[in-house]
Amino acid sequence: MAEARAAAENSVEEYVVQMKGITKVYPNGIAANQDVDLFVKKGEIHALMGENGAGKSTLMKMLFGLEQPTSGEIIINGEKVNLTSPTVAISKGIGMVHQHFMLVPSLTVAENMVLGIVPKKSGIFIDYKKAVEITKEYSQRFNLHVEPDAKVMDIPVGMKQKVEILKALVRGAKILILDEPTAVLTTQETTELFKELIHLKEQGYTIIFISHKLNEIMEITDRLTILRGGKSMGVHNTRDVTKEEISRLMVGRDVVLSVQKDVAKPTDTVLKVRDMEYVNEWGKKMLDKVSFSVRKGEILGIAGVEGNGQKELVDMLFNLNTPNAGTATVNGENILGLPQRKIREKGVSLVPEDRMVFGIAGDGTIEENLISDRCGSKDLNRGPLFNMNAIHDSCKKLIEDYLILCKSGKQKVKMLSGGNIQKVVVAREFSNDPVLIIADQPTRGIDVGATEFIRKKLVELSRSGIAVLLISADLSEVMELSDSLIVMYGGKIAAYFEDTRELNDEIMGEYMLGLKRQPEEQVRRVCHE
Amino acid sequence: MLDFLSMVFTIDFFYSIFRITAPILFATLGAVVVEKAGISNIGLEGIMMSSALFGSLTAYWSGAWYVGVLVALAVGIVLGFVMGFFAFNLKTDIILTGIAMNMVGSGGMLFLVRVITNLTEGRAMASTTSLITANLQIPAVHIPLLEDIPILGPILSGHSVLTYLAFILVFLTWVMLYKTSLGLNIRSVGENPNAASSVGISVIRIKYIAIAFSGAMAGLGGAFMSMYYAMGWSQDMVAGRGFIALAAQAMGAGEPLGSMLAAMVFGFAQAFGIKVSAIGVDSNLVSPIPYVVTILGLVVFALVARRRAKHQHSAAALEKLASKA
Amino acid sequence: MNRKRSIVFSLVRGLAAILIALAVATLLIFISSEGESLAEKLAATGDALRQLLIGPLFRSSGGLNTKNLSDILAAMIPTIFTGLGVCVMFSANEFNMGAEGGALLGAFVAAMCAIYVPMAAGIHVVFCILMGAVACGLMMLIPALLKTRLGVSEMVCSLMLNYVVMYVISYLMNAHLSDKSKGQIQSYPFESTAQVPQLVDNGSKLSWGFVVAIVFVVLIALFMYRTRWGYAIRMIGINKDFAMYSGMKVAGVIVLAHVLGGVLAGMGGGLEMLGRYETYAWRSLPGYGWTGITIAILAGNNPIFVPFASFFIAYLDKGCNLMATYCGVPNQLIDIIQACIFLFFAAEQFLSRYRQRLVVKSTQEELRLKAASVEGGESNA
Repeated sequence: MAEARAAAENSVEEYVVQMKGITKVYPNGIAANQDVDLFVKKGEIHALMGENGAGKSTLMKMLFGLEQPTSGEIIINGEKVNLTSPTVAISKGIGMVHQHFMLVPSLTVAENMVLGIVPKKSGIFIDYKKAVEITKEYSQRFNLHVEPDAKVMDIPVGMKQKVEILKALVRGAKILILDEPTAVLTTQETTELFKELIHLKEQGYTIIFISHKLNEIMEITDRLTILRGGKSMGVHNTRDVTKEEISRLMVGRDVVLSVQKDVAKPTDTVLKVRDMEYVNEWGKKMLDKVSFSVRKGEILGIAGVEGNGQKELVDMLFNLNTPNAGTATVNGENILGLPQRKIREKGVSLVPEDRMVFGIAGDGTIEENLISDRCGSKDLNRGPLFNMNAIHDSCKKLIEDYLILCKSGKQKVKMLSGGNIQKVVVAREFSNDPVLIIADQPTRGIDVGATEFIRKKLVELSRSGIAVLLISADLSEVMELSDSLIVMYGGKIAAYFEDTRELNDEIMGEYMLGLKRQPEEQVRRVCHE
Repeated sequence: MLDFLSMVFTIDFFYSIFRITAPILFATLGAVVVEKAGISNIGLEGIMMSSALFGSLTAYWSGAWYVGVLVALAVGIVLGFVMGFFAFNLKTDIILTGIAMNMVGSGGMLFLVRVITNLTEGRAMASTTSLITANLQIPAVHIPLLEDIPILGPILSGHSVLTYLAFILVFLTWVMLYKTSLGLNIRSVGENPNAASSVGISVIRIKYIAIAFSGAMAGLGGAFMSMYYAMGWSQDMVAGRGFIALAAQAMGAGEPLGSMLAAMVFGFAQAFGIKVSAIGVDSNLVSPIPYVVTILGLVVFALVARRRAKHQHSAAALEKLASKA
Repeated sequence: MNRKRSIVFSLVRGLAAILIALAVATLLIFISSEGESLAEKLAATGDALRQLLIGPLFRSSGGLNTKNLSDILAAMIPTIFTGLGVCVMFSANEFNMGAEGGALLGAFVAAMCAIYVPMAAGIHVVFCILMGAVACGLMMLIPALLKTRLGVSEMVCSLMLNYVVMYVISYLMNAHLSDKSKGQIQSYPFESTAQVPQLVDNGSKLSWGFVVAIVFVVLIALFMYRTRWGYAIRMIGINKDFAMYSGMKVAGVIVLAHVLGGVLAGMGGGLEMLGRYETYAWRSLPGYGWTGITIAILAGNNPIFVPFASFFIAYLDKGCNLMATYCGVPNQLIDIIQACIFLFFAAEQFLSRYRQRLVVKSTQEELRLKAASVEGGESNA
């Protein structure tokens, strides 16, 4: 490490960004970065890689002035800087495109573009015409098409991202940080973005590209820095390393993706969804005559690019939204429109997509989070009072069974790592004798160990006779875990595959991107009628 | 019945609506701006009380009403900054900061008025009503042409400078929010503070400006209360007007014009109460009317907003579907 | 951060908040103190401070002042109840400010029952208090239902309700219920069966209400931390979406929190009324609701700490009264002291640098320990 640092210092001029020995300890005690180095050359596309929680975002927040390092130094264009706020970072030519867009929905594209640097008439009033002109000018110069007068809440995701990039450029950014820019994009939009990024690179811009998608990294970047567990795993030329090597550096061992599982022997139908339709508040048809069944003892996967109706479908099944038409039954009984308590009484469990919103109460203890769905049960109560011993014992067992890493059950959930928080959610949802488990993105953004554990559990439960509906944007997850699988595209079921073993990425891709669609009768087979 | 109506709905009844609305309107505008920045300031009540006291005292010492008004304005701004310091720098919950401000405004000001009058007047007084004489009252303005129009003239003309200022400020607040970069910044900070800070807008600075603005407005409202409406400071004189302003803001959907109308509904209700008690009804029976009206107003607003949202949703959905087909 | 360090931090923080408030108080006392020269003013300030800090418990001779102590305990009765009520409502993240009007309503209804509904001794007083509590619970249904059904701000609604309650009661007293033979507006005297019996006979008005208050502290603590309903209230307060998703009856529980908060506030008002007075003569809002909010904040919404917070406030209040009596410092100083403590106590970032230092220290220690154990493990292998 010291040698690398010395070598870097010898050729200071070529680096536009030097972050040396950066350590960051958050107020809650989590050390997100430990002695991390990042050196970025002028005019390159530099990948910052690592799993979720590896410390990529923290490092970039420090480069953009949103957080300050606990120790270490940052040098921009050879000058040591103290980035106390985004304003300072922007003045040093740094721009950032955040994963969650930093746009004000009710304002127009042009207004968002000039936010903070508003052109003015007679000193105080907004010169809106000028704002539109600026937007058009930059839009043309960088070949990024946007509509200046549209309100941001009305434009598609791809365009929002372009607004974000333009926003940074308008502010004079020469170094662009892109935080997982492709996570929300379709394949076409991704291709388009890459063209635009290379265009920018050719004009001398430097790009720091955060991602954990190997293919993208190989395609577009020149060099890459890998983080693991808050520490740097070194910098490499992209063309000199293989995907396998990167993968090993990122996760520290070869990922065993294949889950051992027997052939499913599905029996009776548990969940039956028929002709579900939903038009969202902007008038877009998000669910279009969706029909399928999930049987005891099988895992039915739902694959698809995000935003093709999966989220809406789960919302309907758990009464977080109301469909315009259609039915859904569990063991023959309707579940639509019932309060969540009634849905749970029928044996439905949900591992929610957004665990911080629905899955946990962060300021509650682990025990309090484990009993939320069963706090009224006879086992845990004695008369009007809680049976504290019973609660303590059952929680202790869950903590042990689900390998939740914690000091005690009295620890606050928000102090745990992402993977352990998800284990708390899963422990609760899997342990209430469900007949149907809906697992929505069950391993998103959590560490490899927890991912493997949760996947194994899902298979185990399905083999014990529980029906599992698995929704995942992670293609390898949904293909490995599911017994059979449907693909959603544009609110419809585009394909049904009875046996996932005969599938490959190529076939899936064609259906997921809407290039192909199976005939109605073939899709209808997922109803098992 | 007709008799009753003609006794109540007189010219001076309508005149009094404006007089009663003005202090609430000031506070309401403060609430509108501060809410746009994403902050609930329930301390408006306490700020009104505090600036009412200092306004009346300084007017008395200086012998000039405008000094009192300016001091009340300054006190409002300072207290806004104090609230901001606790809420934004020390991260005290904004609701609790507001409650503390109200404690200072009620008991704290009674403490201060006693201490201060003891020092300056030689005896501890519990109110300043004996100090504010007619020549210290905020002057009325008679508007030349308007004054001569029958009925409308006497209703609209002859109000205090501050009454007109309150209604002019409704327009100015709208311009500030929608036509200036400050307004753009305030709205973006309220809607998406991360977006604002990511483009280098200092969120905390904008929040300070917004809360200081609300303090300034409450300060003017306070000055109006102690130097025009009630002629002197006394305990509990603001009587929930700072809270009513919050209700008016909610009823007006957070927009300056709508909130002004909501504030006038309150003014109407209270004018009605005063008029009715003047013709013999127990004042304690009519006093709760404005507060009841405010609750009813919130309910009606909530019902309308819900129906509108439902209607818009289905209408938009149907329209789009139809155009596709 | 380990447990010991966080306790140390909480203590340091609380003390710092109190010290700042006292510094502000000292400054104000100094300004308001009588005296010609600086020395005289300083002496007067010292005298006043002594009254404020030591006066409530100790005589100038040094002995314990039991009369003052019982005064303080008596003053705690209504605020323990409003404090508990606010704890329950704030735990559900519901900013209901109606404890103020609630205490007034509870006192009024209890008083009316004490006058107009004769009953046997023993049950009469219980009945009166319960009616006051029920009335107040019903009153809280208004903000609760408007919030859960229509999304109307419970805060604005309850603030308005305080005034409605106050004026309606004023009207009733004025027009129909006052004893016309008296010079001021007051009710007829309560039946003796309705009076809360006194614990001590020294004029302090320390009634059995105090014992009831302590019992309720335990009951509410059990309710909040040992029953499924209290648990639901707390979880809803932390994350409403989580509670709904978990299958809790969110709207019902929120209504429960408001109503229970109301019942407690009403009970406090009733006990205060029937334990301290013989006729109803309140003219405006009593202030117990706001004090209840201060107490709930100081207690961190935990019922167990409510009596301590209540004692603290009652102690300061007594001190301010003594200062007013003996040193001529207006007793509303209490409001300023309360506001200061309140602000700093609730300030998340207050002394945050000190906290961050403790956290970093703890984390570094943990990392060192971990590193040591890893090395140890490797050398073993």
